[in-house]
Amino acid sequence: MTGQASSGESEPLIRLTDVTRSYVMGGVTNTVLAGVTLDVAAGEFAAIMGPSGSGKSTLLHILGLLDRPSSGSYRLRGRETGELSDDALSHLRNQAIGFVFQSFYLIPYATALDNVLLPGLYSDAPRAALVRRAGELLDKVGLTSQARHKPSQLSGGQQQRVALARSLINDPDLILADEPTGQLDSATSREIMELLAAINRDAGKTVIVVTHDPDTAAYARRQILVTDGRVARS
Amino acid sequence: MWRVLSRYPRLLWRLQGVAGQALLAHKARSFFVVAAVAMGIAALTVIVASVDGARRKALEIVDFFGPDAVLVLGGDIENRPVGQRLNTLSWSDARAIARSLPGAYAVLPMRSVRSVTLRYGNKNHEVPTVVGATENYAATWNWPLSEGRDLSADDIAHGAKVALIGDAPAKALFGDASPIGRTVMVKNLPVQIVGRLSYRGFTGGGSDVSVDDRLIMPISTLTQRFNLDRHYFRGLRVRFHDPDLITVHMENLRSLLRHEHKLGPTVPDDFTIMSASEILKFLTAFTGGLVAFLGVTAGVAILVGGFVLANLMFLGVSERRVEIGLRKAVGATSGAILIQFLSEAVYLTLAGAILGVGLGVGLGESLSRLGMLELRLSPKIFVLSLAAALAIALAFGLRPARKAAGLDPIEALRGGE
Ligand SMILES: Nc1ncnc2c1ncn2[C@@H]1O[C@H](COP(=O)(O)OP(=O)(O)O)[C@@H](O)[C@H]1O
Ligand SMILES: [Mg+2]
Repeated sequence: MTGQASSGESEPLIRLTDVTRSYVMGGVTNTVLAGVTLDVAAGEFAAIMGPSGSGKSTLLHILGLLDRPSSGSYRLRGRETGELSDDALSHLRNQAIGFVFQSFYLIPYATALDNVLLPGLYSDAPRAALVRRAGELLDKVGLTSQARHKPSQLSGGQQQRVALARSLINDPDLILADEPTGQLDSATSREIMELLAAINRDAGKTVIVVTHDPDTAAYARRQILVTDGRVARS
Repeated sequence: MWRVLSRYPRLLWRLQGVAGQALLAHKARSFFVVAAVAMGIAALTVIVASVDGARRKALEIVDFFGPDAVLVLGGDIENRPVGQRLNTLSWSDARAIARSLPGAYAVLPMRSVRSVTLRYGNKNHEVPTVVGATENYAATWNWPLSEGRDLSADDIAHGAKVALIGDAPAKALFGDASPIGRTVMVKNLPVQIVGRLSYRGFTGGGSDVSVDDRLIMPISTLTQRFNLDRHYFRGLRVRFHDPDLITVHMENLRSLLRHEHKLGPTVPDDFTIMSASEILKFLTAFTGGLVAFLGVTAGVAILVGGFVLANLMFLGVSERRVEIGLRKAVGATSGAILIQFLSEAVYLTLAGAILGVGLGVGLGESLSRLGMLELRLSPKIFVLSLAAALAIALAFGLRPARKAAGLDPIEALRGGE
C-alpha cells in the first residue's frame, strides 16, 4: 500500500528486484525463486503466504540476509546488500533484523533471560543496558517470573514469547517470523499473533510473517501470495 | 578473526562468558576432555621434573665428588672377575701415588664397615656404611657441616672415639634435637658425635643407598676397634691440581697402580678408578630408561588428549548445530563462532593442564618416595604445561572450531527441525 507510492527520493525499507534463487543438485538446477520483485515499506505488517514448498522460507531467508539471491537486487534501507561482506551482513542482521522461528530455537542450556540477551552479546551495547531492556521485554511478553527458567521448563507458547523478546533486544527495524505459530495450538497462536501485531502497532516495527495458515495471515494488513517462485499477488 | 579481536574487545570478553556457559552445560563431555588432557600433562610434568631432577643430581654429584678428584676402589667392580680379591689397595699404593704421581696433591685412604647398628637411648638405626676417614673429611668432600666441627688431625692421630653423623641417622636417632656432644653406641663402642653433615639427598655411585645414611669416624679408630685389615683400604681418594687433565691423570694413575701391583700385560686391573663423569654415566644409564619410557608415555598421552578433544568437539559441533545456526542468524560472525569454540577448547585444556600438573606432582612425589626418580619441581613445569595445553587446544581444536564457524545458518537451523 504505502510502500509502492513512496519510490523516488525516499526508498522503501525493503526493495527486491527480480530476485532469483536456484539450487544446483546433481547437475539439475532447481529454481525456487524465479524473479521476485517486491517492496515493503517501513511500518508494514505483511504475511507471505503460499503452498508448502513454494519458496516462502527461501524468500524470508533472503530478506533476513541469511541467504543471498542467485541474481537480482536486494536493497535494505536503501542500500544494496549484494555488495556487503559476510561480516557486514552479520552486523546488519544483528542490528536491523529480529528473527522468530517455527521451532523457537532457544539455547537449551541458557535461561530465558540469557536467551533474550543473546543477540545483544554480539552488539556493542553495554551489558547493563541490555539486561535492563531484556527485563522490560520479558515483562512485555508476560514472563518476568520465568526469567530464570530454562527452555525445557517452559511451554511452547512461553518459549515463542521468549523468542519474540529476543528478536527485539537490539531494537531492530524489521521482524521476520517463519511460521511462528506452526507448532502452537490455536489459542496460543492467537496470543503470539496479538503480540506481533502489538510490536508492529505500538513499536512501529516492520513485521513480515511467513505462514500457510489463513487465520494467522489475517492479523497482517497485507498478504503477499507466493506461487511457483513468483509473487502472485501482494 | 583478527578483525573481531581488534575491533571488539567487548565481544571477545563476552565470548569468554559464552564459552564458559557452554562448557558448564556439557559437563560430562568437558570432564572427559579435561581428564584426557590431564593425563598427558601429568606425564609431561613427571618427565620434566625427573629430567630436571637428574640434571640437578648430576651437578650435585660432580660437586660432591669434585671435578678434580678420582676414587680408586679395590677390585674390578665393573667386571667382577671370579676369584678376584677386593683388598688390593695398600699403604704402599697410597705412598707411591703421593710420591710419584704427577699432578696429584692429596691421597686420602678410606676404609669402611658395612651394616652397623647405631644405638642411642632406646633407639636403633642401622647405617649401611661407617666410613673410616682422615682429617678434614667434610672439607675435602665439599660437604658442609650443618652443625659441629670436622674430624681433626688429632682425632686421627689418637684414634679418638668421635664421629660425624649423616643426616639420615641423625634424624632417626635424635629427631629434631641436636646430636652434637651426644654419645652413640656404634656396635659396642661409645662414640661422641662432633659434627653433623648437611642433607645431600641423593644416592651415590649408582647404588640405591642414600649418601646421607652414613657415619664417619677416624680411620685409625675404625681400624683398631673393628679389627679391620691394617694393610689394605677399601678406597683411595686422589685429588689433582688440574681438573682439565683428569683423563691423563687417570691413565697415569692406572699405569702406576698396575706397576705397583705387578700386573702382567694380560692380567686385568684389580682396582677401579672412578671420576665424577664415570659416576654420571652410570646414573644416566639408570634414569635414562625411565625418562625415555615417560617421554613416550607423555607424548602418547598428549596425543590421546588431543584426539579426545577433537572428537568430542566435532561431536559437540554437530549436536549444537541449532545453537550455532541461531547465533549466526542473530548476528554472530564466523570469527565470533570460531573464537567461542576455540575458547572452549582452551579452557578445557587449561583445566586439564592444572589438574595434570597436580596429578603429575602427586605421581612424581610417590615415584621419588619409592626412590625411582629424583624430581625437581620448578615454575618451568607450570609454564610448559600451560604452553602444551594451549598447543593442544589450537592444534586439535582448530578444525572443529572452523567447522562450527563455517556452518551455514540456514542448514544449521534446518538440522533442528
Ligand atoms: N538448500 C537447498 N538445496 C536444495 N533445495 C532446497 C534447499 N532449500 C530449499 N530447497 C528447495 O526449495 C523449495 C522451497 O523450499 P522452502 O523455501 O522451504 O518452501 P516453503 O517454506 O514455502 O515450504 C523446496 O522444494 C526445497 O526442496
Ligand atoms: Mg518453510
